[in-house]
Amino acid sequence: MSSPDTEDGSPYAPHTEAETEAMLDAIGASDVEELFDIPSAVAFDDTFDIPARSEAEITHEVRSILDRNASVTCLLGRGHYDHFIPAIVDHIADRSEFLTSYTQYQPEASQGYLQALFEYQSLLVELTGLGVANCSLYDAASALGEAATFAARLRHTDGNRVLVPELLHPGRRSTLENYCAGPGIEVATYPSDDGTADVDALEALVDDDTLMIYAESPTIRGTLEPASRALGELADDHDAAFCLGSDPYALSILETPHEVGADIVVGDAGVLGLPTSFGMGLGLFATREEYVRQTPGRLVGVSEDLEGTRAFSLTLVTREQHIRRERATSNICTNQAWVALRAAMHAAWLGPTGLVDAATSYVERPRELAERLDAIDGVSAPVHDRAHFREFTWRVDDDASKVANALLEHGYAVHALDDDTLQVCVTDQPNAAIDGFVHAVEEVIT
Amino acid sequence: MKIHEQARWYRRDDDLTEPLLVEKDSTTVDVSVDGLDDSLTRDELTLPNIAEPEVAAHYTRLSQMTFGIESGPYPLGSCTMKYNPKFTERLAADPGAHVHPDLPDEACQGILEIMYHLQRYLARICGMDRVSLQPPAGAAGEFAGILICRAFHADNGEDGQRTEVIVPASAHGTNFASAAMGGYEVVTVPSNEEGRVDLEALEAALGPETAALMLTNPNTLGVIERDIEEIASLVHEAGGLLYYDGANLNALLGRARPGDMGFDITHYNVHKTFATPHGGGGPGAGPVGVTDRLADYLPDPVVTVDDDETYRRVTPERSIGKVHGFEGNWLVLLKAFAYIARLGDDGLLDASAKAVLNANYLAERVGYPIPYGPVQHEFVASASGQDAGEVARAMLDYGVHPPTTKWPELVDEALMTEPTEVETKESLDHLADAFNAVRDLDDDELAERPKRTSVRKIDQVAAARSPVLNWQSIETPKS
Amino acid sequence: MSLDIPDDRRYIESHEWAKDEDGHVRIGISDFAQDELGDIVFVELPDVGEEIIADEPFGVIESIKAVSDLYAPLGGSVTAINEELFDRPELVNQEPYEGGWMLEIDPSDPDALDALMSASEYEGQLA
Repeated sequence: MSSPDTEDGSPYAPHTEAETEAMLDAIGASDVEELFDIPSAVAFDDTFDIPARSEAEITHEVRSILDRNASVTCLLGRGHYDHFIPAIVDHIADRSEFLTSYTQYQPEASQGYLQALFEYQSLLVELTGLGVANCSLYDAASALGEAATFAARLRHTDGNRVLVPELLHPGRRSTLENYCAGPGIEVATYPSDDGTADVDALEALVDDDTLMIYAESPTIRGTLEPASRALGELADDHDAAFCLGSDPYALSILETPHEVGADIVVGDAGVLGLPTSFGMGLGLFATREEYVRQTPGRLVGVSEDLEGTRAFSLTLVTREQHIRRERATSNICTNQAWVALRAAMHAAWLGPTGLVDAATSYVERPRELAERLDAIDGVSAPVHDRAHFREFTWRVDDDASKVANALLEHGYAVHALDDDTLQVCVTDQPNAAIDGFVHAVEEVIT
Repeated sequence: MKIHEQARWYRRDDDLTEPLLVEKDSTTVDVSVDGLDDSLTRDELTLPNIAEPEVAAHYTRLSQMTFGIESGPYPLGSCTMKYNPKFTERLAADPGAHVHPDLPDEACQGILEIMYHLQRYLARICGMDRVSLQPPAGAAGEFAGILICRAFHADNGEDGQRTEVIVPASAHGTNFASAAMGGYEVVTVPSNEEGRVDLEALEAALGPETAALMLTNPNTLGVIERDIEEIASLVHEAGGLLYYDGANLNALLGRARPGDMGFDITHYNVHKTFATPHGGGGPGAGPVGVTDRLADYLPDPVVTVDDDETYRRVTPERSIGKVHGFEGNWLVLLKAFAYIARLGDDGLLDASAKAVLNANYLAERVGYPIPYGPVQHEFVASASGQDAGEVARAMLDYGVHPPTTKWPELVDEALMTEPTEVETKESLDHLADAFNAVRDLDDDELAERPKRTSVRKIDQVAAARSPVLNWQSIETPKS
Repeated sequence: MSLDIPDDRRYIESHEWAKDEDGHVRIGISDFAQDELGDIVFVELPDVGEEIIADEPFGVIESIKAVSDLYAPLGGSVTAINEELFDRPELVNQEPYEGGWMLEIDPSDPDALDALMSASEYEGQLA
């Protein structure tokens, strides 16, 4: 087997033949193959049967495959949202220094990125009211998993059971259970009452074995939790941590988690900056300052250089796997830094007015849509008598899956939850799309 | 000696400091939402309020204070900092790639088809039978692999018995942490004097309590575990599984496959081997592959294809479930697919050839001793007598990114260096000159460096003693 | 560089020292240990009133580059902790035997102190 000619090789390995020869001469080898120390018994001398394509060919191939996705108006939510992303985010975040650099272990060469992540952390501190936010985990589900094991490390908590809403998104539930399996933490559910926490039922379930109570606002059904404060107090009474799930848009108008007594906030911060991407996320994780040394994930801090200039660096690194190994606060290494950068950029572009205006519209537009749906014979909306954010559930006399499929054929994607319940999500779609959707429902229902 | 004046891009210059956003503006707006009870809402929100041109200028300046792949050689050991082809970004921006994960399979056939092809490519490249793309990063892939291992032993009625995962002392920190997260006790085995797994120590560590051995090959010293067949049979005889950490796969592309070496579980770091951008720390993707006997345990979902060419997301029969809320980092996976398809068999083979050629050439030219070999795609030099951290900082003044330092600990003052296939001979010569110039600096000169970066040596002790982690905690922000 | 090993106290293999203070026992880490760890940034200690067990970890010490458990030379209940270390962890580097002490206990077995290594035995272990 011999090394292929450059034109047959990687277009991103720029060696000329003369250079290769000169390098081999310097090494004292006659062929690149001599350099490999692979035992012959395990050497691979077959091919993968993967043909190389030109950039034009593979571009065309991928685009034509992606064209097979149905072209629909996305009114789906339930934990992943289709928000408008301003063009500036794509253009500036794609600058090669941001896109291609490594984790900022060499701070003198990455001050800019470190400052951007520090500003992201500061944004989340403002939104949550809590003292510490890390510079990202993978997504809301893994952040919830980390929250449970984090809660178990806190000195003031006791117990071994995490209580989560019965309506918890199945992907979050499954991920949480996996994070809890190793340390042997039990995951149990508490009932809901009209789409939010059933506080009385929860009170009956909480005992001294409760490690953490988790609630969401907005919930996976879009309802806003009216009893957050009571849940916080309940957790506190039983030496349990209170973890609240939310997102940056909702947090820009909701009472801060700090005010309602949350010890931890998790969620998906990718509602800012991240386009719909088949479920990619940006794990938000914030907590109280006194718990900083138990926090999972990277943290950027500020200090000075030897001339007294303000300088940023990753800090408290002894929490992390590359130093603390099996006793690290988490195994996370690669995170979602570039998505955090995009979220920070998006928030900077919106400013406080833009954030509050957008969040307000995610209360008002779903409410208007619910009113319009409710006016249709055979539809009742919303199902829950609660304030909603972005999305709500609605009931039909017909079979819900049949209705969802028919709407998909009309070009509108919504969730079918069970026999007669659907869920629809309104973010930044133009009014015409919402009008078209209402019209389609009218047609499908009658 | 030829030292280019390449450091100018980030030369110290007062004009290159950039205020925090909050130092530009801090605006408080009242919050009141019609129809929402006051008890639900906050009173006000305070954040920077600046116009789009200022936002663009702010982040552009921040990018100029950051070293990227195209800023200069980036030989971070174990990180595989390859050039990230631009065309993959354009594909990831295609509107067809931006789909909600809850769309029914019939409505997202395009995405599922690409996922299906990528699963097959990855399976073939590592000699695995089945692959799930769900884990969103290498460490998440490790965690999924460990959960698979646990589920497998549990099904054999051995969960209570097999409580230990063996990890070489020089392994990546994530191996230890992932095994511990999965509920295992971590047992370390030392290296022998050649820098390879000490077979006697391994035999002594193996037993009925062994659940798995986690290994990377070539190992973190950049040398091949030549006894891999014997290691595999020892582990299998003890009833354990052999886990492959894909961090160093770039050395093997097209030449050897973990599956043929006897590995049962593999994770892939597509942001290393398959050139998807590191993004300043992520997102990556960490698909996990297994042999047939473990296929039923893979994370949910795997993509299958029906006879009528309909692609479906399927939950394997005894799946461990999910380690991510949806289907992982899809846009990263798309870029990896495009990269593999662009290179094809010949390109992948050439990538490993040139990666190993570059590492060997650089090793030849670097004046620091390299205690272990023969080196493959990376080498670990020793800066013994100097402080590796100071060496790294000093290298910045020559317009290059320094290597990974002080790890693995087997090498005193380690400089772990992985140039990857993308560096030209000229760039490697420049990198070698930078190493050798720094080697000649005395302690006083070293302590002064770097001088040409946007900030100089940072007081990290102060940062850790009194952490200031947000602008709200900075005592006197500039007005 | 010469390491300070005062002979007015006892030592254990993991480099903690224990010193009798009128019936209570004060505990800290040796000059050798602080030197090995480098710049100390954080010390986590038990609360007053907690019981610590001989040879078991009672706290954590963190430097810029490593984290180590602190092991109890003796068992007993904690009567005082050095709260100054929370603000000035560098005291452990600067004065490991004086201002850098960590906690005081009421030992459950006061005689156990004499069974620990003397300064010269500890020095022998370091050699």
